[in-house]
Amino acid sequence: MDLAPDISVVVIVYNDAERLPTAVRSLLAQTLRNVEVVIADDCSTDGSYEVATSLAAAGPRRVRAIRLPHNSGGCGEPRNQGIAVARGRYVMFLDSDDTLPPNACRAMLEAAERTDADLVSGLCVRVHADSRHDRKDPWYPWLYRSTRTIESIADLPDLMVFDTLSTNKCYRRDFLLSSGLAFPKGIHYEDLLFSAQALLAARRITLIPNTVYTWNVLDKAEVKSISNRRHEINNFADRVEIHRRIDALLADRAMDGLKLAKDTKFLKHDLVLYLRELPFLDDDYRRRFARMADEYIAGFPPAAYAELDPIHAICAYLLLKEDWANLMPAIDTLINRQKISAPLAERDGRVYWCADHLDDPQGREVLDVTALGYHTRPLDHMAPRNRLTGYAVRDGRVILDGAIVNPLGVIPPGAVLTGELEFRARRRSLRSFRFPVRTLRHAGESVVWRAEVPLARRLRPLGIVDDVWDIRLRLDADGHRTATRLTAGNTDLGDAEPLSVRPLLSRLTADRLEPEVSAKGHLAFRLTQHGPAVRRTHALVERHLDGPAANAGKRAYRAARAGWRDLNSGRRKIQAYQQMLRLLPVRRGTVVFESHLGRQYSDSPRAIHEEMRRRGLPVTAIWSYAGDRPEGFPEDVELVRRWSWRYLRALAQAEFWIDNQGYPLKLDKRPETTYIQTWHGSALKRMGFDEPGYRMLSEPEQAAYQRSLDRFDHFVVRGEHDVRTLACAYRIPGEKLLRTGYPRNDALVRARETAAPDAAATLIAERLGINRDRPVVLYAPTFRAHPGGRVREFEFPFDVDRFADRFGGDLTLLVRTHYFNRIALPPSVAGRVIDVTGEPDITPLLLLADAVVTDYSSLMFDYALLQRPMVFFAYDWEEYSQDARGTYFDLLAETPGPVARTEDELFAALTDLSGVRQRYATRLKEFADRYGEYDRGDAAARIVDRFFGTADAGDDE
Amino acid sequence: MTARDIFFVANEVNELGGVARWQNQIARLLSERGHRVRIIGIAPPEVPMDLGADPPFETRTLYARRPPSPRPLPRLLARADLAGLRLEAERRAVMREAAARLSALFREGRPGAVIIVTQVWAMEWVALADTAGHMVIGMSHESYDYSRQSSRFQRVLTHYAGVDRLLLLTQEDADLWTGEGLDNTGFLPNPLPSEPDTPSPRTEKVVASVGRLSHQKGIDMLLDAWAEVAPRQPGWRLRIHGAGELEEPLKRQCTSLGLDGSVEWAGQTTDVTRALHQASVFVQSSRGEGFPLAILEAMACGVPCAAFDCAPGVREIIRDGEDGLLARPGNASELARVLDRLMGDAELRDAMGERARHSVRRFAPGTVADQWEGLFRFLER
Repeated sequence: MDLAPDISVVVIVYNDAERLPTAVRSLLAQTLRNVEVVIADDCSTDGSYEVATSLAAAGPRRVRAIRLPHNSGGCGEPRNQGIAVARGRYVMFLDSDDTLPPNACRAMLEAAERTDADLVSGLCVRVHADSRHDRKDPWYPWLYRSTRTIESIADLPDLMVFDTLSTNKCYRRDFLLSSGLAFPKGIHYEDLLFSAQALLAARRITLIPNTVYTWNVLDKAEVKSISNRRHEINNFADRVEIHRRIDALLADRAMDGLKLAKDTKFLKHDLVLYLRELPFLDDDYRRRFARMADEYIAGFPPAAYAELDPIHAICAYLLLKEDWANLMPAIDTLINRQKISAPLAERDGRVYWCADHLDDPQGREVLDVTALGYHTRPLDHMAPRNRLTGYAVRDGRVILDGAIVNPLGVIPPGAVLTGELEFRARRRSLRSFRFPVRTLRHAGESVVWRAEVPLARRLRPLGIVDDVWDIRLRLDADGHRTATRLTAGNTDLGDAEPLSVRPLLSRLTADRLEPEVSAKGHLAFRLTQHGPAVRRTHALVERHLDGPAANAGKRAYRAARAGWRDLNSGRRKIQAYQQMLRLLPVRRGTVVFESHLGRQYSDSPRAIHEEMRRRGLPVTAIWSYAGDRPEGFPEDVELVRRWSWRYLRALAQAEFWIDNQGYPLKLDKRPETTYIQTWHGSALKRMGFDEPGYRMLSEPEQAAYQRSLDRFDHFVVRGEHDVRTLACAYRIPGEKLLRTGYPRNDALVRARETAAPDAAATLIAERLGINRDRPVVLYAPTFRAHPGGRVREFEFPFDVDRFADRFGGDLTLLVRTHYFNRIALPPSVAGRVIDVTGEPDITPLLLLADAVVTDYSSLMFDYALLQRPMVFFAYDWEEYSQDARGTYFDLLAETPGPVARTEDELFAALTDLSGVRQRYATRLKEFADRYGEYDRGDAAARIVDRFFGTADAGDDE
Repeated sequence: MTARDIFFVANEVNELGGVARWQNQIARLLSERGHRVRIIGIAPPEVPMDLGADPPFETRTLYARRPPSPRPLPRLLARADLAGLRLEAERRAVMREAAARLSALFREGRPGAVIIVTQVWAMEWVALADTAGHMVIGMSHESYDYSRQSSRFQRVLTHYAGVDRLLLLTQEDADLWTGEGLDNTGFLPNPLPSEPDTPSPRTEKVVASVGRLSHQKGIDMLLDAWAEVAPRQPGWRLRIHGAGELEEPLKRQCTSLGLDGSVEWAGQTTDVTRALHQASVFVQSSRGEGFPLAILEAMACGVPCAAFDCAPGVREIIRDGEDGLLARPGNASELARVLDRLMGDAELRDAMGERARHSVRRFAPGTVADQWEGLFRFLER
C-alpha cells in the first residue's frame, strides 16, 4: 500500500486565526481521504500559529504546521516553504480565508492520474460573502466548459493569459521540484509569475469543469486587499515588472503567439483597472502612471490592438499620447459603454473619436469610430456625456453647472431646448423628484446648462431604505429626448456648505444630504447623520433593520413584490388569458392585427386592413405593437402592446385574428375566433417540421407546436410551391388554404400592369432625398446564423466605399438588411448609399427600386412580380445551402438573373442592368409564375370579400 | 483483489430494454470477478426480459405492484386538498417501509460494499434507506440533452447531488452535468453486449435498423431519408427490425412515400447478431440516445453505421469518417447522403466495417469490468 498522501494542500495563513479552522476543515472533509494538510504560517502575531498547531494536534497524521521565522509580507514564500515539506504526490494551495469544495481533491486527482498531466486546472468560484445573497461569480468560466488536455500552453494561450491564479490548480510535486518552480519574493502578483512558469514548464495540462476552489471576496472590507489596492502606483510598478519577467520567459521560448495574446489582454484588462481610477486621481499620479505605462506598452506590436474593442484601443492610444483632454472622456465611455463622450469629428467621409492625431496614420486607424454608427443615431438613441462643471450650495439650494457633449452637432443650433433634473432613489425607486433646468444653451461643441435645485426643501426621502439618490438630466431638443447622468470626475464636491434634509419618517433617521461619486463616476447624494441624537437613532435603526420585526417586514415586502411579479409573469398571464377565453364574450366586428410580431404596420395584415378602410367597413381594428413606442401606425386604430393585459383581452375577445407570423404560441384560440394567417414569404430554406430542430423535438414538444399551428383557420399561399413547402411543413390541411396570393403583393402586380408611379414610393423617395432620374438599386441580403442558430452580425460582402466611388454618380443604392441585423454606413457614401433597414414596410421600397440585388431573401419571389432585373449575389451559397437547415430547391439552377460570386462579378452585372433586363425577361416571367401564380393583384379584395363582405356604405372611391 | 458485495438498485430488475440488458450483463461480469451481486428492483416489470438460465446473482423486487407517483398540485391548493395530502402521506409511509427493507439488505453488505443505483427513480428509495459505510454510485443511462427534455433532469440534480459518484456514459455528458453544479460526476462506457466470432459477410444489399417503433427512435425521419436515397440506389432494401406503438402510422408513411417496394418490416427480433449478419449497413435515426447498444453490436459485427449524431455516446462510439458516418441530428437529407455513400461503395463498407469491428474492442466487456473495479478502488482512497 502506498503510504504517501495523494495530495498535499499547502494552507497559507497570516494573522487570520479566526478563519483558518474553516479552511482546514474543508480539507479534512474532502471526499478524497488521503489528503495531507500543511499549514504555513507567515509569522503571524495574532495566534494563528497556535491555532495551526492545535489543528495539527487534533489530526496528527493528516495535518502539520510550519512557521516562517520572519514575516515575508506576501503569499509566495509561505507557499514555497509548504512545498518544501509536502509529501504528497500532488500539491495544491489554499489561502486561510478560502475553502475547497468537498470533491475538489478527488476531481483533481482523478484527472491527473487519468491523463498523466503535470498540472490540472479547475474552475474557481468567487463568493461575495458580504453581498446580500452570497453572489457567486465564476472565474473565467468559458475556459472551463469541458474537460480537455493540452500538451503545451501554446495550444491554449487563454489559460495563461486570463486565468492567472495559482490556487485553482493541482501540481505534480515531482514536476514542481524538477522544474525548480518557486514563487518570487517581495513583489505583488506572485501568482501571475508562478502560474506562467508552471504552465510553460508543464508537459501536459488538463482542464476540468469542476469547481475546485472557493475564493471568498469581501467587497466592502475596510482595508482593500492586495489585489484591490489599485490606487497605489507601486502596485502598477509590480504588475509591469511581473509582466516583463513573463515576457522574458516567452522570449526565451520564442512563443510569439502567447506574447501577443498577453499584450492584448494587458491592454484590455490590466490597463483598464488603472485607467478607471484616473479620473479620480491627481495630475501627478496620472503623469507617473502614464510614463510607466508608456514605457511598457510602447513595445507592443500593432497587432495587439487588432482584437480590442475600439474604446480600449482609443484609451491606450490617448494614454500613450498623454492627451488627457481627450482621454478623460474616453475613459468615461470605457466605464459606461453606452455613452458617447466626445464631440466626434467627421473627416473625408469617416467619423473619428476626436479631431486630434489624425495626421498620425496609427491615430487615424485607432480613432476611426465609423463602424460604431454613432453618426447614424438620432438623439433619442444616444447617451451623450454630461459633465458636471460646477457645484455649489447656497441657502439649501444646490447650484449645478454642466456641459452635455453634442456629438457631430446632433442637437442643432436652433433647437428648442428644455430639461429637468430627476432625483431617484437607487434602491426601490418608488418615488422621484423633478426640478426644471433653468439655462440650456449651445456653447461650442457642448450644450451647457445650469440648475438651481431647492433640495433641502423639496427632496423628502423616507429616511430609511432610500439613502442614496441618483440624478439624471432629461433633455428635450425639438421633441428628441435623451437622459444623461452627471459625470462628476474630479469636480470639487467637498467644500460646499452642508445640505440639511428632512426625511418623511423622522429627522432622527438622517439630517444631512451629502454629494458623492458613484462607482461609475456619476454624481449622487447620500443621506447622512451628523447630530449626536441622529447618530444614535441611526445606529438603533441599523440594528433593528436586522431584528425580528424588521426581518418580518422585509419578508412581507419581498413576498408582496414577488406576488406582483408573479401576477405579471408570462405564466400568470397565460392562465388569466385562458380564463378570459371562457368568461368574456366575443366582440363582433373586432379584428386584431399583428405584423412581424408587432414590429411594424406592414405586410399583408396592413394590406387587408387598408382594403377594409377603403370600403369603410364597420370593423374595430386593433393593432398590436412591440417595444416601448409604436411607430408608423395610423392614428385611428386602437393600439395594444404585445403581451400587455389589453393585448390579451383583445385577443381573447376578437372575432378575427390576422397576422403574418404567429401570435404567442401558448395562447389558445377560441373556436368563435377566425384566425387568418397570411404568412410572410415563400420558402427557400426549410421551415417548420422540415427543419431538423423541430424534427428532433420530443413527442410532447412536437404536439405543443402542432397545437399552436392548428390555431390557423386559414393560411394564405402565393402558389403551389407554398402548398408543397410551407403547408406541408406546418401540416396545414388543404381546406384551410387561401389560394389568393399575398395581399401585400397586390400593389406590385398593379404597378406592373399600370406602370404608373406609386404614391408611397414617391413619398419615400422624397423623404430620403433620392434623385429619381438615376436608377435605384435595392440591396436586400438575408441574415446568416452561426452553427448554434445565433444570428451573425452583418458585414458587407463588398466594399461599400468602392461601390459608391464607382456607381455613385450613376445610381442610388438602398441597403435593407434583414430586421435581425443593423448596419452603419460611413458618411463618405451619404446620398449614394442609403440605409433603409428602418423603413417599416418593404413594398414601397420594392416599387421604388429599378433593380434588386439579393442573395437568398424571400423577397426575390415578390420582386419577381414586377418583372424588373434581379442580381443574385450568392457569394456563400455552398455554406448557406448546406448549413443545418437545408433548402427546398437548388436556387442557383433557377435564378431569374445573373449570379455573382465575387464583388467584381457583382459590379459587372450592375454596369449592365438593361442587358440583364433583356436577357432574363423570359426567365423572370417563368420564375414569377412558378413561385407565385396566385398573386394576381386582388388578394386583399378577395379575402375581405370572403370574410367581411362589402360595406353597406359601399365603395366610396 | 477484494470480493465485494455489489447491490444494483433499479426501477425494475428486468424491464425489457437497453438498461436491463446492460444491468444483466454488467452484473454477470462482476459476478465472474468473484463479487457477490444482488439486483433489487423497485417495481415489477411491465414487459419482463429473460435473464437467461441460472443468473449468477440474486434478485429482489420491493413492491408487488408499481407504487403510485406523487400528486403534483399547485402549492396553495395542496394545502387545502386534505384527501390529497392523506394519500401523499400514505405514499410516503409505504416508501419508508420499502426503504427499510432496502436498509436491511444493505446492512448485509461487508465493508467495501457498493450500491449502484441504475436509474434516478430508484434513487428516491435509496435516499431514504440507510447506506452508511457503503459507497453509492448513481447512474443516468441517457445523454444530458435527452434528460433535459424530461422531468428526469430536475430529479437527477436533486437526488444525485449527494452520491459518491454520479456516473454518466461519456466525458461530454459528465462535463455538462458538472456545469449544472454537480461536482461528483464521472463516466464509464457501456460494454459490448456481444462479441460475435465472425463478421457480417456484407454481401446482402440490405440496410438494417434495430429499435422500438417509437418516437424516440425517429423511424419517421429514416423513412424520409430512405425516400431520398432509395431511387439513387436501386436494388437495396431497408429492413426495419422492431415493434412498437407507432407501427401503424409508420407503415402508412412508408406507403405514402411509395417505399413499400424497398422497405421490409421485419418485426421484433430475438437474434440481433443474425439480423446484422444479413445486412451490409446499419442505420440509426434516433432523437435521443445514451450509449447505444445497437450501434456497438453492429460495429462488433463489422457492419458500418450511419447515424444521427444525437448524443455524445454516439460520437464516442463512431469516429465519423473512420469507422462509420454521422449526420447532423434531424437532417434527413444528410442521413440520406451518408447512406448513399456507404451503399454506393463496397470498398468503403468493407474498410469501415473492419475498422469498426476493431475499434469497438475498446469497449470489450473485460476492459469495462476492469474500469468498474478501478472506480471502486479509486472511491475508497
